[in-house]
Amino acid sequence: MIVATPGDAALPLASEGGVRGAVRRPHRLGPRLANLGRHLAGSVAVVLTVITITFLVTRVFAPNPTALFLSPAGNGFVSAAAAAVEKTKVEASLGLGKPLVVQYYRFIDQLVHANLGNSFESGRPVTSELLQRLPATAELAVYALVLGVSLGIVVGVIAAVKRDGIVDHLARLFTVAGLSLPQFWLGLMLLWLFFTKLGIAPGPVGRLPIGVSPPPRITGFYVVDGVLGGDWSTALDAAKQLVLPVVTLGVGLATPICKIVRSSMVEALNSDYVRTAAAMGFGRRRIYLVYALKNGLLPVVTVLAGIIGYTFAGSILVEGIFGWPGVGNYAFEAIQNSDFPAIQGFVLYAAILYVVIYELLDFVYTLIDPRIRI
Amino acid sequence: MSTVPVFARHRARLVANGEDLSAKAPWPLSLKIGVGVVGLFAVVAVVSSFWTPYPPMQPATGAFLAPPSWAHPFGTDAVGADIFSRAFAATHTDVGITVAVVALALFTGTVWGSLVGFYGGWADALTMRVLQTVQAFPALLLAMLVISALGRAVLDVILVVALIPLPDYVRLARAEIMTKKNWQFAEAARMIGRRPAGVLFRHLVPNSMRPLLANAGINASWVVATVGGLGFLGLGIQPGSAEWGSMIAGGESDIVSGVWWPCFFPGLAIFLLAYAFHLIGDALTDADINRRR
Repeated sequence: MIVATPGDAALPLASEGGVRGAVRRPHRLGPRLANLGRHLAGSVAVVLTVITITFLVTRVFAPNPTALFLSPAGNGFVSAAAAAVEKTKVEASLGLGKPLVVQYYRFIDQLVHANLGNSFESGRPVTSELLQRLPATAELAVYALVLGVSLGIVVGVIAAVKRDGIVDHLARLFTVAGLSLPQFWLGLMLLWLFFTKLGIAPGPVGRLPIGVSPPPRITGFYVVDGVLGGDWSTALDAAKQLVLPVVTLGVGLATPICKIVRSSMVEALNSDYVRTAAAMGFGRRRIYLVYALKNGLLPVVTVLAGIIGYTFAGSILVEGIFGWPGVGNYAFEAIQNSDFPAIQGFVLYAAILYVVIYELLDFVYTLIDPRIRI
Repeated sequence: MSTVPVFARHRARLVANGEDLSAKAPWPLSLKIGVGVVGLFAVVAVVSSFWTPYPPMQPATGAFLAPPSWAHPFGTDAVGADIFSRAFAATHTDVGITVAVVALALFTGTVWGSLVGFYGGWADALTMRVLQTVQAFPALLLAMLVISALGRAVLDVILVVALIPLPDYVRLARAEIMTKKNWQFAEAARMIGRRPAGVLFRHLVPNSMRPLLANAGINASWVVATVGGLGFLGLGIQPGSAEWGSMIAGGESDIVSGVWWPCFFPGLAIFLLAYAFHLIGDALTDADINRRR
C-alpha cells in the first residue's frame, strides 16, 4: 500500500495523501524534464539557504563578527595600534560598514569564485587546503563504505531471514549498541586495545608511519598507488594505517543500514508475492536472495545519501582521533583553534557535497524503482 | 484501517504518559532495562548536584593519573581529580541538556505539526517545503558552525541541537493528526460543541502522542551521543568542565601511553545512557506498531 518509502525526503508519505491512488503516467520526456528542473531548483534553494544561514550567523547574529575573522593577534605582544590596523583591515575586507545587501552580494560573489578566505593557522586559502586533503578522506571513506554497507546488508538479511533466532537477537543487540556508541570513544578504545595494549596496530599518526614517504601519485589512494607502482611495502604500511579508522567508521555506518535492511526484508518476506513464489515452488535461496532482497535493498539507497555525504565530508571525530590528514581532521583542528574561516569553508563544502549526493541518489532511485517518478 | 474507533478511550492527560501501555500489556524486558537505567542516571544526576565523593573540580585528590582503586574507583585524571566524582557531576550536565533538548523538540514539533496538520492551507504547504529543504542539510555541521560563531554557551547548544530533530517531530505529528482528524471520536467531540482548538489539543493531540514519544526515546539516544561529541570537540561546554565528552577529550592524549581510564568511564556512561534511551524508544515503537495491527 505504501508506495513511497517513509523517510525519503523528496516524497510525501502515503498517509499524507500524496501518492495514494497515483495514476501511472506514460513515459514522456517533457514532464520528466520539468520535474528534473523543479528538483534542481530545490537543490539550489538548499545550497542558497545554507549560504544564507552561514552569512547571517557570521555577520549578523554573531556578537562580534570582526573577532571571528581576526586572527588571534600574537598573545598580546602586538601593539594596540597594530591590532587596530588589523581590525580595520578585516572590517574592510568583510565590508562590514556597507549595507547588508552589498555584504551578501560580496559573500556570494566570493563563493562563486571558490574563494573561502584564508585560514588563520596556515595563512593559505581554505579552498586549496580542502582540495589537498580530499584524497585522504576519499580513501578512508571508500573502504569504510564498502565495509559498512556490506556488513550492514549481510547481517540485516540474515537477521530478517532467521527472524527471532539467535542471529537476529545478537544483530539487534549490536545495532542498538552501534547506534548508541559514541564513535570517537569506540575509536579511542580500539586504539588503546590494539595499539597500546596488544601492539598489533600502528599508532594514530595518519596515512603512513612516520618516515615513510608516500608512493608516486596516480590515484591519490596510497594503497592503490603503492600496488600500481610495485611498492608493496608502502602499500602494506598504508593498509595497516587504514585498518582501525576504517573499522571505527565502518561499524558506525553498518548499524543504521543493518536496522533498515532487517525491517524492509521482514516486510518483503511477509508480502504476498513472496508467499506466491513459495507456493509456486521456487527454492528458498532464490526467493530470499533474488526476489525479496531486491525490494529489501530499496530503502538502503535512501540512507546511503546521508551516509556517503557523512563519510566524504570527512568524519570529524574519527579523522581527528586517528590523526588522519583529511578534510574532517581539518575541521577538527579548525574547531579546536577557533580558526573560523576554515570552519566556515568546511561547512559550505560539506553542504554542497550533501546536496549533490542527495540529488544523484534521488535520480538513481527513480532508475531502480519504477514505481517512483520524481 | 477498516475499524474506526467510535470514541477515544482516554481523556486528555491519561494517554500522554504511556500509562495505558503498562495497564494493558506487561512491559517487555528491554523497556524495563531501559527505564531502570535511565532512572538510575536520573537519581545520580540529582544526588550529584549536592554530593560527590570528592569535589568534582578539585585537582590533586590523589596521585596524577592513578589507575582505578578503592579510593578512586574510576582512577584520577592528569591533574589528579577524581574521575568518579567528575563523571558523577557530569551526569547532571549531560542528562540535563538531553532532557532539555528532547523536551523542546518534542513540544515545539508536536504543536507545530499538529497545527498545520489540523488546519492545512498555506501554512501546511509552506511547512512541507521548509522541511524538505532542511532534510538535505548536513545539520550537525551547520550546528557546529552556529555554536562556534555564537560563543559556545550551553544554551546555544540546547537550542541548536533541538533544531536538528525538529523536522521529524513535525512530520510525525502532522501525519498523525491528518489521519485522525476525521475519526469518529473527533467528530463526537465536535458534536458536543468543542471548538476546533479544543478538539485538536484536548482530543487529537493526546491520542497521537505514542509515535511521538517513541521517536523521543530514540532521539534522546542520539542527543546523548551528539552532546558528548560536541563536548569532545570543546563546543558548547567549557573545556575542562565536568561533562562526559570534554572529560574524554581531556584524557585523549594519554591513551597512547596506556592510560585508558580517563576516557573509558565517561564514554561508558554516554554509551549506557544512549543505549537505555534507545531501548525505551524501540520498545515504544514496537508497542505502537502492535497496536496498529
